[in-house]
Amino acid sequence: MNSIRILLADDHNVLRDGLRLLLERQQGFSVVAEASDGREALRLAEEHRPDIAVMDIAMPVLNGIDATKSIVASGVPTAVIILSMHHDESYIVRALNAGARGYLLKDSVKADLIAAINSVSQGHSFFSPKVSLLLQEDYFRQMADKQKTDSFELLTGREREILQLAAEGRSNKEIANVLNLSFHTVETHRSHILQKLNLHTVPELILYAVRKGIIH
Amino acid sequence: MRRNPWLALAGGFGGLLLIMAAAEVSALLVLNSLRASDAQVEKRFLERSRMLEQIRSSIYLSGTVARDSLLAPAGGASSQLAEVNTLHGQTDAALENYQRSVEPEEAVAFSRLRSEIAAYWNVLDKTFAWTDEERQKYRYQFFYSELIPRRTAMLQIADRVGQLNELALQRGDQQMAGLFERLRLGLIGMIALTLIGGSALAIFTSIVILRLQNQVRERLEENIEAKTSLRELSVKLVRVQEEERRSLSRELHDEAGQSFSAILLETENLLDLDHMAPAKQHLESIRNLAQRGLDGTRNMALLLRPSMLDDFGLVPALNWQARETAKRTGLRVQVTAAEMPGDLPEEHKTCIYRVVQEALNNVVRHAQASAVQIRLQRSDQQIDLSVHDDGTGFDAERVRGLGLLGMEERVHHLGGSFNIDSQPGRGTQLRIKLPLVDLASDVTNELNTDTVGRRS
Repeated sequence: MNSIRILLADDHNVLRDGLRLLLERQQGFSVVAEASDGREALRLAEEHRPDIAVMDIAMPVLNGIDATKSIVASGVPTAVIILSMHHDESYIVRALNAGARGYLLKDSVKADLIAAINSVSQGHSFFSPKVSLLLQEDYFRQMADKQKTDSFELLTGREREILQLAAEGRSNKEIANVLNLSFHTVETHRSHILQKLNLHTVPELILYAVRKGIIH
Repeated sequence: MRRNPWLALAGGFGGLLLIMAAAEVSALLVLNSLRASDAQVEKRFLERSRMLEQIRSSIYLSGTVARDSLLAPAGGASSQLAEVNTLHGQTDAALENYQRSVEPEEAVAFSRLRSEIAAYWNVLDKTFAWTDEERQKYRYQFFYSELIPRRTAMLQIADRVGQLNELALQRGDQQMAGLFERLRLGLIGMIALTLIGGSALAIFTSIVILRLQNQVRERLEENIEAKTSLRELSVKLVRVQEEERRSLSRELHDEAGQSFSAILLETENLLDLDHMAPAKQHLESIRNLAQRGLDGTRNMALLLRPSMLDDFGLVPALNWQARETAKRTGLRVQVTAAEMPGDLPEEHKTCIYRVVQEALNNVVRHAQASAVQIRLQRSDQQIDLSVHDDGTGFDAERVRGLGLLGMEERVHHLGGSFNIDSQPGRGTQLRIKLPLVDLASDVTNELNTDTVGRRS
């Protein structure tokens, strides 16, 4: 089995060294390039076409979110995992909108990084449990404040299954395979789900699932 | 050198009034004395005329009586003698009276008159002593050569004295005219003095008033200048403080925070190594300390100035603030705001964020509220913000804490309006409006609000 090829992008050398040390101790992981700013990360991603880019947000020249956008847009087969100190929703939402597949907090690198890379490289999303928890708490509080009935209750059992799979990053085709449904049926379910939950994009769907605790 | 203008004014006006009063009083006095002396002169003239008339008529009558007695038949002169004696007495009394008020220039004429009269009486008395023969013999001669000429001479002298008396009257009139002229001149002098004094006073008063006005204007200008510079200073202070907070927050986040993250990771890496097992306890302690350091740094950075404000703009920062407040206090905080386009000026962004922060602090500290509504609306010309709580409220007319004043100052500096509507028991609504016209020219938008990451 080929090892997972990884790009590290962080302007903090000591942290980057620590990350590399952590990753290289694992079987099947190899750090192929290191960048200390966003622009360098983009250049190295295009050059090395790694499977995973682990990206800080606060970096000079080009920040991690814009760099993620550019990497996704450039068409390289690299899935981006954001690794940041920020645990506010606004950063997570923007990272997801930029196309990041995972969001980790620097507090819990050791515990989460390996799992995140494994998960994302298999096409799933991954969030630090602390992040998921924060998002869920905020979401519950908001729901309680607004005294709204949870829109999740409107979903049928089949729709909830599809929501979970979609939020994990699976395509309609994969979902159809997993659930043994036709592609068209999955598509219809999916548009119903977005409609019922008043969502519009995949990142919104993922965020919703995280907030609801459907995925972690 | 500052004289009291009130004292000067009072002195001036008082002096002027005194001059006017003195002029009036003296004019009245002079008029009074004029009238009195006029009456006196006339009375004297009339009296003296009357006395002269008495003298004349007595002389005349005595002549007639004497003629009658001379022409009378023998005897019977005794009644005429008595009559003449009476006339003599009257004449003497009149002469005595006149003598008392005789004028110097009539003295000569008057004493001649007196001696003539005395001689006349002597001559006349002699006729009464005559015997009938003597009377028969001398009467015509006496009558024509003594009595008539003497009488005529005396009457002429009396006329002369009368003329002199009239002269005295004229002189009195002249004196009066002189007095009157003096009064006129005095009055003219007084009026001139009053006019000059009044003009001087008016000029002085004008100068004082103008000077006062100038002083007031200068004070006002100084005041305005001081206020302006004070405001500029406070704006500068606020700006500097904000800049400081921003760089501190960044520094904490990017340097201290990252270092703690690195320590955390390194420690965890060490914990993985088998030969580090004896140090496990220490390493775990280090890891916990690093974790606490990281949390503390992150919180402090956010409190100083939330990175979302610079990274993503106002609304994400407000949302974060709302979530944080809700998490910390259990207050329901709802933000209703459309995403702002990225061109909201830096100072407006900061102003609104700080106002909301302060308002939420106030609500948490004082309002005993359960819910807060934050609404933000933007039109082409202005931004409207309202923060509305359902708490106890307060008397917005009386209570103005330092925080409120600070908010107001920030808002006014940006040309906005600041409004608090609150009454005890009815919650508090804070409203601000910030105009957005002509902003591009005077507000420097130091950071592009839509980029993430640190400045390098």
